[in-house]
Amino acid sequence: MQRLVGHRFSGGQYKIEHWENFLLSEATGIEPLPDSLAHPVHLFHVPINGVGTSIAELFALAEVDRASPVSIDYYDWSIHTPIREGETYSLSGGITAYERKEKAGSPTVDSFIYEIDVAGKDGELAAQVAFRWHYWRVES
Amino acid sequence: MKVEVGDSIPSWTMDRVTPERMKTVAAILRDPTPIHWDRDVTRAIGFDGRLLNQSPINLGYVINMLITWAGPECVRRIRTEFPLPVLDGDCVTAGGVVKAIETQEGVDVAECEVWLDRDDGTRTVQARAWVAIAKEGVTG
Repeated sequence: MQRLVGHRFSGGQYKIEHWENFLLSEATGIEPLPDSLAHPVHLFHVPINGVGTSIAELFALAEVDRASPVSIDYYDWSIHTPIREGETYSLSGGITAYERKEKAGSPTVDSFIYEIDVAGKDGELAAQVAFRWHYWRVES
Repeated sequence: MKVEVGDSIPSWTMDRVTPERMKTVAAILRDPTPIHWDRDVTRAIGFDGRLLNQSPINLGYVINMLITWAGPECVRRIRTEFPLPVLDGDCVTAGGVVKAIETQEGVDVAECEVWLDRDDGTRTVQARAWVAIAKEGVTG
C-alpha cells in the first residue's frame, strides 16, 4: 500500500449543474443558496469525481473488498472563494500519505490521505480539500 | 449580528433523516457503498437494517447551521471528524460555540467548535469551523 503514496490522479474539470446543486442542497434540508452559490458540501464529490477518480476507484486502489468496512477519519476543507454552480473548476491532486495500524486482537487498519486542489477558471485556487479514510481489513 | 467569544451558535435541526434522500445522494456522489441503500447489508453489519447517512450530508447539516447564522459565503475552513454514524429515522441537531475571533486578510473570522448530535445526545460529527463574520458584528 505504501507504493500508492505519491500517486497522482489524472486531473480534470467539473461543472456543478443547477439540478445537482438543487438536489444536493435539498438533501441537506435547505433550499439552494442565492446567487448561484453551490452548497459547500459539494466539496466532497466534486474533487473526487473531477480529479479523474471515483469512490469506487479509491476503494479498488486500496484493495477493499465487500467485507472490509471503510470509515472516515476526517475531512479538512479550506474555501478561498465560494463555489458556484455553472462554473468550471479544474482539479488536481493525489494520495499524499499512508499508515498501517496493527494491534493484537483488532483488525488491521490501512489509512490513506487524499489531497485535491480546486481551481477556478482563472487558475486561482478556490478550495483545497484533504480527507483521510480508514480501510478495515476484516477476514471474510 | 454581534459575535463574541463564548457565544452559542443558533442550533439547526434535521427532524428526520430519510432513506429517500440517501438514495438521491448516493446517485449524485456516484457512491457504490451499499450501507446507504441496502438494508440487508446494514443488518449484516449490526445496524438492524437501518441505513447509514452519507458523512458529507451529516457535515452538510452543520454547514446549514453556520450559513443560517453567518450567511451563505461564511465558511472559510472546516475540519471534521465523524465519531458515530447517523441512521435513517434519526433526528439530529447541529450546535456550536465561538472559541476565538481573529482577523485574516482584513476579515474577521470566528473559530468555532461545532457538532451534530442525535436526539439521544450521542455525537455524530465533531468539527472545527472558521467562519467569516461581518466586521461591525465583532465585539470585545
